[in-house]
Amino acid sequence: MPPKPHRVLLDRVSGYADEAAAYMRRRRASRRPFARLYYKGGRAEDHAGDSAVGGELFVAAGRLIEVAGKKPKQ
Amino acid sequence: MADVQANGVISGDAAEGALAYLAEMSLDLRGAAILGADGAVLAASDQPERWREDAAALFEVADRAGGESVEQIHVGTEQGEVFALRHAGLAAIAVTERFALASLTFFDLRALLRDLAAGGDGRAGEARPDAA
Repeated sequence: MPPKPHRVLLDRVSGYADEAAAYMRRRRASRRPFARLYYKGGRAEDHAGDSAVGGELFVAAGRLIEVAGKKPKQ
Repeated sequence: MADVQANGVISGDAAEGALAYLAEMSLDLRGAAILGADGAVLAASDQPERWREDAAALFEVADRAGGESVEQIHVGTEQGEVFALRHAGLAAIAVTERFALASLTFFDLRALLRDLAAGGDGRAGEARPDAA
């Protein structure tokens, strides 16, 4: 028996909502600031923005981003 | 392959040329600087004194964080990304748009510093017309 028309509509709407939620989750994860330090021998450290070192790294990086300015127009 | 240490005779012209080549190669690049072993700016896209101060501050924080000399730094923010690399006694800092390819950017910076340290012009990856 074919599904009732409103079921088809509801399924489609909830499908779009799921896609949008997944997109927003991915976007949030990819836009999250990060600071990674790499040392000799392959050792690497991640520093969160709310840690003391992370905060200092973001401030120092922010100054460099400021001095670099915007991307020059091609 | 053993890395060559810079012998301290890198000319400003060579560093400027290397920086121009980096800008040509990296479409996401906003600005960059190359620093000598003593922290002096050999070339910068703009405001060399600011680059020197801000790069020194970044390396100082990073060195302190790990308790040893840092080799690479990658910081991503919503405003852009910062890549810093020490190699062969030199340092290179690059600021790019968000989502620049980190491995490629570090590869380009490392190749540039390696070539400069070996006495080249930083264009080691460029196809030479006489290399047929």
